[in-house]
Formats: sequence, structure tokens, C-alpha cells
Amino acid sequence: MQDLLSQIFGISFLAIFIRSFVPLLLTALGGLFSERSGVVNIALDGLIIFGALSGAIITKQIEPALGPLSPWVGWVAGALVGGFVAWIHAVLSIKYRADQVISGTAINLLASGVPPVILAALYGSSTESPKVEYGLPLWGVGELRFSPPVYFAFVLVAVIWYVVYKTPYGLRLRATGEQPGAAASMGVNVRRMRYSAVILSGVLAGTAGVFLSIGNLDSYVRNMSAGMGFISLAALIFGQWKPLGVLGATALFGFLQALSIQLGGTDLLPPTLVSALPFLVTILALIFTGRSAAPKAIGKPFDG
Amino acid sequence: MRVTYLSDSRPSPVASRIALTVSAVAAAGLVLTPLAVLGRSFDGNAVLLHLSGAALNLTSDPQVLLPSSGTTVALGWATLILMLATLVGALRRERWFWITGLLGFATALAAVLLLNGVLNAESARITADTTLRPGAKRTLRNFYGGGGMNLGLFLPMLAGLIAAGAGLSARQVWWDRLNRLRSLLVPTVAIGLAILVGAIVVLLVQPAVNGTGAPLSLWGGWLAKTDLVYFVYSTLFAPITRLNPFLDSLKLATPLIFTGLSVAFAFRTGLFNVGAPGQLTMGAIGAMLVGVYAPAGLGWFLLPLSVIAAGIGGALWGGIPGLLKARFGSSEVINTIMLNYIASAIFIFLIGSETFPFLGRTYNMPFKAEGFEARSNELQEGARLPTLLQFFNVGGNGATVMSLGIVFALITLALGRWILGQRKARNAGLLAFIAALVVGALTWRIGIPVQIAGSQLNASFLIALLCVAGFGTLMWRTATGYALRAVGLSPKAAEYGGISVARNTILAMTFAGMFAGLAGTHYVNGGALDEYRLKGNMPVNVGFDGIAVALMGQSTPVGVVAASMLFGTIDTGGIDVDLKLEQINKDIVTVLKALIVLFIAAGGFLSRRVTDPPPPQLLKAVEATGKADAAHLDAPVAKAEQGTPLPNVGLSSESNTREGGK
Repeated sequence: MQDLLSQIFGISFLAIFIRSFVPLLLTALGGLFSERSGVVNIALDGLIIFGALSGAIITKQIEPALGPLSPWVGWVAGALVGGFVAWIHAVLSIKYRADQVISGTAINLLASGVPPVILAALYGSSTESPKVEYGLPLWGVGELRFSPPVYFAFVLVAVIWYVVYKTPYGLRLRATGEQPGAAASMGVNVRRMRYSAVILSGVLAGTAGVFLSIGNLDSYVRNMSAGMGFISLAALIFGQWKPLGVLGATALFGFLQALSIQLGGTDLLPPTLVSALPFLVTILALIFTGRSAAPKAIGKPFDG
Repeated sequence: MRVTYLSDSRPSPVASRIALTVSAVAAAGLVLTPLAVLGRSFDGNAVLLHLSGAALNLTSDPQVLLPSSGTTVALGWATLILMLATLVGALRRERWFWITGLLGFATALAAVLLLNGVLNAESARITADTTLRPGAKRTLRNFYGGGGMNLGLFLPMLAGLIAAGAGLSARQVWWDRLNRLRSLLVPTVAIGLAILVGAIVVLLVQPAVNGTGAPLSLWGGWLAKTDLVYFVYSTLFAPITRLNPFLDSLKLATPLIFTGLSVAFAFRTGLFNVGAPGQLTMGAIGAMLVGVYAPAGLGWFLLPLSVIAAGIGGALWGGIPGLLKARFGSSEVINTIMLNYIASAIFIFLIGSETFPFLGRTYNMPFKAEGFEARSNELQEGARLPTLLQFFNVGGNGATVMSLGIVFALITLALGRWILGQRKARNAGLLAFIAALVVGALTWRIGIPVQIAGSQLNASFLIALLCVAGFGTLMWRTATGYALRAVGLSPKAAEYGGISVARNTILAMTFAGMFAGLAGTHYVNGGALDEYRLKGNMPVNVGFDGIAVALMGQSTPVGVVAASMLFGTIDTGGIDVDLKLEQINKDIVTVLKALIVLFIAAGGFLSRRVTDPPPPQLLKAVEATGKADAAHLDAPVAKAEQGTPLPNVGLSSESNTREGGK
């Protein structure tokens, strides 16, 4: 037993934990903006994929010219593409009053169709992009060496907590999600708030994607997100739409994911079943979460 | 849109503007895109005919003999003149422009038919030519067979019909007729926009097909590019025009009907079922477990048992999120997605590997068949669904004779309902149904001999049609369906009216899961993946396609069937596109489906006043009195307006939880 425990929970476990935790955290923090402004964002998973894809492709394409600088440009590109795709979701749900869940699902469906088309056109393979020569650099010591988005994510928690609770923008954001009518009467531009929040969520989910493709690996692989967007969404609900709650919830889900990866390597449980563990726990966690903390106007288009 | 009480008999400004736009596009299309293709080799190299009469040869053989095209070009010019006349008529809001529009359609159609005649004659000449080698013969026949109309003739045909409709809408009779089609507006516009965006994608990723080896001029490159767009879409939609590809597309449509019904059923109750892939997986597992392991002594009873097991497997997997939603208020959207991943893990666990470790020891997995491939053992004979060909074949000794029993039965059903309906008989539907059953059974042995290359379309297609009928009956003919729809339209009103929102949420998700689970019969019992087993390459993504199907079909049973057939067609055509073009793979079809969902979600970017206008009587009443509450509808108008409005999924997703019901 002692053996087993040390086999699972070593320093390498900590590394795996951080790597599964960070994309969830980034995505959920993005989702926080969107949902706090009153727009359901089920498209997070697709946004991760778009970010991962464009990060890898842009880095690959500009590598000959820019060398080690290229992954940084790739990061920016991935974040911008994530923001652009989120903007589509925003236009549909804010301007055209689309059902936000269906509009988000459409983005997710696009994310399963567009990458193979682009990859086949550029590289002739529909499942993965060629490896990039320069990924994002790794900072740290020993086994604990991580790419910059990891540190970015942890700084971001504090920044977002400050923005949401201590700045006029945060106040307007929360008002927009709770009582858009009241916010509008006080001169807040509800639509503009929602646009900015949804686009921000795309930028952050895109960053999570960039971390997966060129921060953690060195290429885009099909279905790279593996449901992370949906788990982040659940973590957002479990964390009651609060930055620190989200930090805790994504840490829990990240831990479970790392655990299922580590357990998969032992002969304790069937690895295929263990891989379903995070999804099962997500369902269980949602059972014990009330929806009373949800922004009141979530999912409802604003007329005015 | 036209408001009917105005005493102006000219086409409305909106109708005129529509006609103006489409005829301008058609005229531009005639001038700027190829009129027709005089021949096309397998990989897309074509000889393009332009309105000027010039032919652009993009094939590798510059000497190829071209059929005469003088009449086609002449008819093209006539179409251009008619389109320009329509344009002028629409600009001046004349009453007659529907005539020129319709004539334009007719001349374009005549040009297409004539051209096809010429090409067929050419093929016949090749067939009769004895000096050619068989291989060269086939190549040449395919070359002429690949010819036909192109954008330059297709656009005026479409535009002519639309302009005719717009012009005729000035007449009350036609206005009423067109108004009845209004619900098709959003899906049609969504498909149109998706095709447009898809065309841009095609233009971006695929260079022009050019077999000459020489670079193209700017004009030639443009013509080749526009031809490419037409080539891709005509290949995508081609299966609908020929029997065998059509049967193939029905085969691909079958699982879509099931999953489409699943999503549509949940939609009707205001729930969004994203879990069809997982429910399909569990259904397939259920069908496999019974089909392989039930005692063989059950004989023919095995098949229904296995089908029921598929339904139960799916129903269970759909019921869980329903229960969680009703009891704890957790979102069915996230839960169904999570259950997809869990089902996929169970699926791989069962058939992915022959052994599995548990608490340090290794056990055998009995469900996986031996060998490298991920698949289960083979189903017993008694649990297999026949192909439709076997099912309807009443001829002995290897002759294919299709039974006409079902045709007679359908005719009896239609006639019976009409006659009994005229006499206002009670239970007209039921009586007609019984009569149809009797007639069908009596005429089962009557058949016509047919020539069909073997088709793998299996009897799960019939199960799908049964489900369609069951969906319609349950939803619109029973009290249960009334309660389900009431919850979908307004959970709070339903709760107030004594309908349990929680109970109906569970029920709806269970039924939705059942429909998706039954799709498993197509793959396992029907052997759609070439073997009567549960196989690792089962395309569970058809579950997500179900969302597009349900949205396209507006959550009605007939709509679901129509949308499934459309998607089955482009799925089949997508395989051809994949074969014929280098840079485009069949994922372009996935993109098209996603775009369709996107544009339907946006309501086709149409204003609510267009898609769902207030009835003209209401407008009139408001106008006369200046007060909204003075308006009321006559009984027949009110009946026509009722229809079955679609529930707002987002709205009820938020509120038909236990907390929302309080």
C-alpha cells in the first residue's frame, strides 16, 4: 500500500496535476466572465480547440522567419482566434437573440469539423498538425518546469478577483448578469458589457488551448480538449461563479484528472474505466450544487 | 412582407426587392459563371461552356471531341434576356414579372434538358463505336456522363422560380399558399447561408481543378473556381438522383432519424439532449448483450428482445440526466455530455481489450472477440435484422420481386382516412389503419420484379419509421404528449395546471434516450458496419448530428425524416467528394451541418416579423381601433395560427427545475 501511494503521489504527480489543472482554470475563468454577464457559454470546449489549432498552425507557419519568438506570436494568435470565435457566439446570442445553448453547441460542432478541413488543406493530414520546432519555453526547476501560461493562470486568478469585485468594470459586469434592466437604467451599456465578457472568455479559453498544443505538447492533436471545456463549465457552477470558488473547483477536477492518469498506469483498476472518473465526479458534484448563486439573467436575451 | 389589406394589387416592395435581387444574381451568374459542362473526367477536370459560346478545356486531352452546344448557348441568351426583363419588371413593381421569371425558368430548364439529350446521344455513339477499347469506352462514357448544367443555368432556374413566387404573391390565393410554407423559411435560409459559407471554404482550401498542366488566365481561373464550387455541391447532392446511391443515403439517414427524434423529443419538452452519442452507445451495448448471449432457444424471439434491450439501454442513459434534473436541478446539458464520455469509456472497456487489471490481478474480458480489432462476438442468427431487400423480396429462386403490399396499404390508409373523414366517422384514423393492415397482408405476395444492385439498407429503417409514427402519435394524440408539450412551452403554467414538471422531465429524457438507443439496432442488429457485431468504429457522432436534424426538422416527425434524408444524402455525397478532390475531405459535410445549426440558432438572420408575423386580421383590427386589446381572431384564423409553436429551450432549461417550479 505504501508502495502504491508513493508510486502515485510523487513529484511527477504534482507536475501532472498542474498540467491538468491549468487549462481547466483558464477556461473556467473565461467562462466566469461570460456567465457573470448573463451569457451561457457552452462553446468553451470548441473555443479551446480553435485556440489550440490556431496556436499550433501560426507557430508552425512563422517559425522559419521568427524562430524562438514564434510561439509567443502563436499564443497571441490562439487567444485572438478564440476571441473571434467567441464573438460569433456573442453576435448570435446578443444581437440575434439565439438560444445561447444551441448557439454554443453550433460552435462546438464547428470545432469538430473545421480543424480537419484546415489541416487537410495545409498539411494533408486531417488528425494532427506537424510538430513545431519551438514550443513555449519551460520555466522552473527539476521536474516542475512549466510553460508561461501556467504562471499566467495563477496571476490571473488574483487579477480577475480584483477586476470582478474592485473595479467599476466588475460591478457593471455583475449588474449586467443579475439585473440587466437596472444596469441599463444606470447608464451601463448592457450589450457592450456582454460582448466584451464573451470575447474575453474566448481569449482565455483560446489561451488554454494554446497551452495544450504548444505549451504542453508540440502539435495540435484531434479532440485535444477531451471535454475539458465542459468540465470547466461544471467547475464554474460548482465554484458558484466566484473566482476563488472556481480556483478550488478546478483544482479538485484537475486533481481527479491527474489521479485518473496516474491510476491508469497501475494495475489497481481498469484504465479505461478510471479515465471516466473525472466525468463521473463532475455529475456528482453538480448534484450537490444549488443553482441559487447563478446570475439571475443568465441565458436570457436583453431587449432594450 | 406584404400586408394583405392594402388595396394595392401590385407586388409588395419586399416581394419586388426579392425578385430584383435574385434576377440580378441570376443575370450576373449567366454572364460570369460557366453555363454548362460539356464533359468531366473522374477527378473533376472539365470542359466548361460559357455564354459567349467559348469552351474552356481543362482536361489533359486538348483534342477531345465536344458535343454541339449551339442551342444551349442560344437558350442561355434567351434566359439572360428574360432575367433582365424580370429585373426591370421588379424594379418598377410591375404585375407581370412573374411571367418572365417563370419563362426564364422554363428556357433554362429546356437548355439543360437539350444539353443532357446531346450528351446522352454522345454516350450512345461511344457505346455503339466498335473501334474503341473497353477501357477507353468507359472513360469516354463517364466523361460525357459527367457533363450537364452548371451555375450559369442553375442560378436562373432557381431565380426564375423565386421571382415567379414573389410576383404571384400579389394575388391573394398565392399569398395564402406561400404563407403556408412560411415555417420552412428559416431552415431554407439556413441551408442557403451554410452553402454560401461552405462555398467560400471550398474556394479557399481547394485550388482550381486543372488537368492541362498550363497555368490559367485570370478569367479562366475564375471560371474554373466557380465550376469547382458547383462540382463540389453537385457531387454532395448527387445521391438523390440515382437509385443505388439513394439507397446508400437512406442507410446513412437511418441512425440520423433515430437521433434526430431523440433530440426533437427533448426539445418539445424544453430540454436539450446533447447525450444522443452516449445513449446510442448504451443502446448498442444492450442490443449486443442480448443478441449474443441470450439463450439460442428463444428462436425468432431473440430479435425483438434485442431491439427492446437497445431501447432500454438508451432509455436508462437518457433517464439518468432527466432524474438528476428533476430531483436536483442540475443542468441536463452538462450531465448528458458527461454521460457521453462515461458511455464511451464503458464501450472501450467492454470491447477494447481482452484482459483488464483489477486490484492488482488480471481478469479476462469475455465480451471482446478474439483478434486485434475492437469488436464483440458475432450476433446469433435469430437476432439479426434482414436487409430491406430480403424483407420485401417475395420472389423465390433468387429472383428479386419487390412486394407491393406496403404501397397498397398506404393507398388504403390515405383513401380510408379521406372517405371516412368525409363521412365524419368516429375513429376514422383507427379504422383506416386496420383496413390498411388487412389490405397490406392480403397483397403482400403481389410484387414487381426489379433490378437492384445489392443494398445494405436494413430493416432498422422500418423501426425508425415506426418510431416516427410513435413520436407523432404520442406527442399530439395522447394526454401524455399534451403534458410533455405543455412543460416545454411554459413549465410554470404547466405546473399551475396540475402537470408535474419533474415527472415529465424524467419521462421526456427517458423517451429521448430510448430513441437514440434504438439507433444501436442499425449498427448491431442491422450489420450496418459490415458485420453483425458491436464494433469499435461505430460512428457515435451521429448523435451530435441529431441536433442539426432536429433543428432543421423543427422538431416535427416529418421534418426529422426529411432533414435526415438530406443529411444522409450529403454524407453519401461527401464520400465521393473525398475521393474526387485532393484538398477537400468529407469533414466539409460536418462543417456544413454545424453552419446549419449556427444559422438556424440565429433564426436565419431574419426579422421576427418575417418568420412569425402577426396575423393580418390582427393588424387590421389594431389599425382600425388603435388599440391592441380590441383585436380578436375569427375561429378559423385562430385555428390556423395555433400550429405547434416550438418551445424555447433556453428559457425552460433555466426554469423547469425543482427550484424553478417553486
